[in-house]
Amino acid sequence: MEIEYGKKIEFEKELSSLDQFVIAFTRILNKSGIKYVIISGYVAILFGRNRTSEDVDIIIEKLDLAKFKALWTALLSEFECLNTTNAEDAYKIYLLCGDSIRFSRKGKYVPNMEIKFPNISLDGFDLLALNERKEVVVNDNQMFISQIELQIAFKFSLGSDKDIEDAVYLYELFKDKLDIKLLRAFSRKLKIEDLLNKSTE
Amino acid sequence: MKISDIPDVDLKKFEEFKKRNFKARLEFIKQYADWIKKTPNKIWSAQQKEIIG
Repeated sequence: MEIEYGKKIEFEKELSSLDQFVIAFTRILNKSGIKYVIISGYVAILFGRNRTSEDVDIIIEKLDLAKFKALWTALLSEFECLNTTNAEDAYKIYLLCGDSIRFSRKGKYVPNMEIKFPNISLDGFDLLALNERKEVVVNDNQMFISQIELQIAFKFSLGSDKDIEDAVYLYELFKDKLDIKLLRAFSRKLKIEDLLNKSTE
Repeated sequence: MKISDIPDVDLKKFEEFKKRNFKARLEFIKQYADWIKKTPNKIWSAQQKEIIG
């Protein structure tokens, strides 16, 4: 794998349809100046994990209604919201209540982007993911993902077979580049040290 | 097939089987990550595209 891993991660790949979907969506977020972070299994898929996903989870900064309506209009040029056709409902009934909204390409159901505001009940982990996000440039397309150390720890803490497999994959792929102290610190906080040790030995 | 033809399952053994299977999957994922690290992007991403589409 030819990859530049520093302050940002830069690499080239043959783009899958899922990559193209994510790039099209994040291009609109980038253009709109919205701060966001991709936190889902897509992070592992982006770097080569051989599985697909029906949804891609994104946390976006909390917006006021006017800013959200502008984003909504920009997104509707290529995508549709699967929850509601009304921007104000999407904002007030879903996002402000801590629920997510999903966008897919027009006329399609999957894949979809699952968007939510940071959840304050997650002990600040959503905000941390957003504030410490990592820039990725793939084939000259910019997107922001959760820092890999947090992504690994969080996937272990979610605990399904699929999540543990994603975590192990990312760990194995980037273990020479990771801040291991930081990974251990996240692991302690999320109480997954044993699982991390067992799965990565 | 009759319902009575369905064999009894030893759930303890089945749990062990699942554990072994998962361990084997993790081993494969480690091997695969190792292969990706040594393989040009053009090759691994073309293979990934075949799976994902």
